[in-house]
Amino acid sequence: MNFLKYLTFCIGAFAIVNTAFAQSGNQGRSRDAILTIPEVEEKDIICFALYTVHDQTLKLTAQLYPIAEGETKTVRLEIEKDDTWVEVAQTTAIEPGWTAPFRVENWDDTQAHKYRVRHGKEATYKGVIRKNPVDKDEIIVAGFTGNSIRPGHGGDISRQDIIDNIKRVDADVLFFSGDQVYDHFKHYAAWLKFGRDFGEIIKDRPTLCLPDDHDVGQPNLWGESGKVSTLSGASDGGYARPGVYVQEVERAQTSHFPDPVDPRKIGQGIGVYFTNLNWGNIDFAILEDRKFKTGPAGRVPKQGPRPDHIRNPDYDPTSVDVEGAVLLGERQLEFLDQWAQDWRNADMKVALSQTIFCGGAHIHGNANGRLHADMDSNGWPQSGRNRALRALRKGFAFHYAGDQHLATIFHHGIEEHRDAIWSFCVPSIANLYLRWWEPLEPGLNREPGAPGYTGDHLDGFHNKVTNFAAANPEKNPAGKLLNTRSAGFGIVRLNTRTRHITMECWPRNVDITDPTTQQYTGWPRTISQFDNYNPPSWGKLGELTFNVEDPVVQLIDAKTNEILYTVRANGRTFNPGAPQGKRFIIKAGRDAPDQIIVEQAEAGDQARTIRL
Amino acid sequence: MNQAKLDNVLILFLRLGAFLCFAGWTWVHFYWEGPYGIFLWQEKTYAFVSGFGISWDQFVGTGANDGLVQKWIARMAWLYLACTVLTLTVRNKSWLQMAALLGGSVLLTILSYAKYLASQRELPMFIEHGGQMLIPVLLVMAMVLGVRHRVTVVTAMIAFIMTFAGHGSYAVGLWPTPSNFYGMITVILQVEYGTAQAILYTVGLLDFLVCIGIFIPRFRCASALYAAIWGLLTAIARPVAGMSWSLHYWGADQFLHEALIRAPHFLIPLYLYFLWRVPRQAESVVKNPESLMKSPDMANPPPLAPSVLTDKQLKHNETL
Repeated sequence: MNFLKYLTFCIGAFAIVNTAFAQSGNQGRSRDAILTIPEVEEKDIICFALYTVHDQTLKLTAQLYPIAEGETKTVRLEIEKDDTWVEVAQTTAIEPGWTAPFRVENWDDTQAHKYRVRHGKEATYKGVIRKNPVDKDEIIVAGFTGNSIRPGHGGDISRQDIIDNIKRVDADVLFFSGDQVYDHFKHYAAWLKFGRDFGEIIKDRPTLCLPDDHDVGQPNLWGESGKVSTLSGASDGGYARPGVYVQEVERAQTSHFPDPVDPRKIGQGIGVYFTNLNWGNIDFAILEDRKFKTGPAGRVPKQGPRPDHIRNPDYDPTSVDVEGAVLLGERQLEFLDQWAQDWRNADMKVALSQTIFCGGAHIHGNANGRLHADMDSNGWPQSGRNRALRALRKGFAFHYAGDQHLATIFHHGIEEHRDAIWSFCVPSIANLYLRWWEPLEPGLNREPGAPGYTGDHLDGFHNKVTNFAAANPEKNPAGKLLNTRSAGFGIVRLNTRTRHITMECWPRNVDITDPTTQQYTGWPRTISQFDNYNPPSWGKLGELTFNVEDPVVQLIDAKTNEILYTVRANGRTFNPGAPQGKRFIIKAGRDAPDQIIVEQAEAGDQARTIRL
Repeated sequence: MNQAKLDNVLILFLRLGAFLCFAGWTWVHFYWEGPYGIFLWQEKTYAFVSGFGISWDQFVGTGANDGLVQKWIARMAWLYLACTVLTLTVRNKSWLQMAALLGGSVLLTILSYAKYLASQRELPMFIEHGGQMLIPVLLVMAMVLGVRHRVTVVTAMIAFIMTFAGHGSYAVGLWPTPSNFYGMITVILQVEYGTAQAILYTVGLLDFLVCIGIFIPRFRCASALYAAIWGLLTAIARPVAGMSWSLHYWGADQFLHEALIRAPHFLIPLYLYFLWRVPRQAESVVKNPESLMKSPDMANPPPLAPSVLTDKQLKHNETL
């Protein structure tokens, strides 16, 4: 009896203390967004469908609600031909996750096709497989990240504004860069909710979703080729959730991607999905910048209160650039090397990945807090970051990413400022965790009238970066308002005729086609495709005039035989940039650089006429 | 072993448990950072301190320097270090030291509460820290009331139940099983996820069974012994799974304290096991084990085994 009294007292005391400390913004489960799987009728069992078309192959994944015991798991894909529905593929829904992946080869992408996914006798889900928009001058890619559904910061606010805006601009591709799901244990339920929220726009256009750390159930991710992580926070590298969970996540989010270029599995049976998607003459590299990355704990000297955080501003940045630390990994770098040289059916190249190649924020947290450097960013390891940027600039690739909860535009540098690619990090759909780009010193070489935070900087790892825009949230953002927390989405317009890339950064709950609607400060910004590898110190090799339109040109160092870059020229003329004081071999061709056109070119050469 | 020696051993278990636990948390506060961010790094806390004229930069630092938050979290290490030393120096009538140790228990409770909040109010997160929160209290109780006093033993049982019920709630999936539970089993035993899941579910059930088992005289020794072994294994699983020759300091700075702070998880059950283990010479005279529970001195009723009682214990029992 005494024991019971004692126990009751303890529980009572805990309850009182708990109530006393209760914070209005975090009232536990009762206020968390509800992630229950709704009971649906048999006719509604197909939640949504995602697809891509690449190289005449359609890959479509239908996402189903749970199929009842005894019901068929066979799912069918039908295409409308001459007002008749024709079955083109069948598949079996895979548990766990109830995903139904289809693959249809010899796909005719020169015209749009109405499709419907069917299950049993009643369930039907309809959409449109678009024609490949090769005849369009401008390809619009809508970019999203950070789909928090928590009410505390507006995650429970309807996504209808996003749906409406995507329909208004009729985006050609949707890109969700990561954290589509924040729940670390219920990916399936959260993925169904994602489908209910975005399925209306996803079903009719190619969509790419890159699973990031929260999607696979951990706060940060350094995948280390599938190692098992056991350290709280997972900075020891590897996956915290079991391999089967990660497989389920990747099956749901990426099984509709074009086939991986190097499908060898990593540890725990986890697959890879890095590959490319060619759509509308834009060649997208789909990267996994977490999967092979080394975890910092125990690998780098401790510089802060967490193994992955550097708080000491006087630390030696070279001390953390340790030998053996991997970012993209050899397999992806090899892929990028090939991808940068391959310009078949491509006018422009875009790299899609989870996050940007620098430490793109100074202040982290839901209130404030300066952090010198964060190893969760792609600024670390520096050598790996530089290798990635070197690979990407060889193809003049523009980088489109997310994850930071802070929209930014950076022009990256390796040997000098602005000698590599541009990146656009999109804002969060609903911003769970605030960050600010707020350097202590104003940037150098800023544009006239530009804020002090823009210009040339060194990030916390001493990577060279040039900031052109940052959608910093308010210092004390009000309650649930999305836009005080800089929520929103990105639009990138890739003009294959002018080779211009326009970045737009839109807040939530606005009409982006209304001319009076303002974007976040610093947007829009338009750059040339060729700005993605145009170091300030370079000279020009002399204008080349070709007898064909848009030839592919390749520059090779005459001494080392290393390929400097490969690119498709715009029109019949091209004036290649190159380092001063070196000699280069120039190759060119209609679709591949298969012909040497100049043997010993150097900066300052005269113009030439080339016949291919 | 006579009762006096055994009592000293029992106190040693509690002392060692408190020492290792405080030492581990001292390391966390000194080398890493105490888990108080959930209290401090938020607008409401700042709104409160700004009333004292403290600016934001003063509160959280500028990045080039530390603010009050970092400084005071770091200073907590000294409190934990003091508690660590006190676990070694505290004696029967050191009232001040004992009061300070009780303060240490409050510190551990605040810390556990912070972890509970950070886990988005998962109840087992707080509950499973019961052994850690109560180990200083147990040590003080053992000093003041006696290592076999009813209140001491009941408190130890509460600490035991909190630790293992909390752990079991996670292991069987009443709350989402922490990912590192699977990870440690997978790495150490080299088994697939399905096997790890089965193992976790089984040991989770056993966690609950031993919580019940300690109330059943026939099973309480076995329950306590199992809990001691399992508590030890789960504590050392962290460094065993995480440490590696390839890491700085072999990863000891990352993982070793994880085992230390969990010392109460096996030392409290070990204390109970030795407390309840009936000596062979006493066994012959114990006819009715139920009477053990009714005695104020639960584990050592004087009428049953007077021959093994020391003068000190007899005197102590007379005062009850």
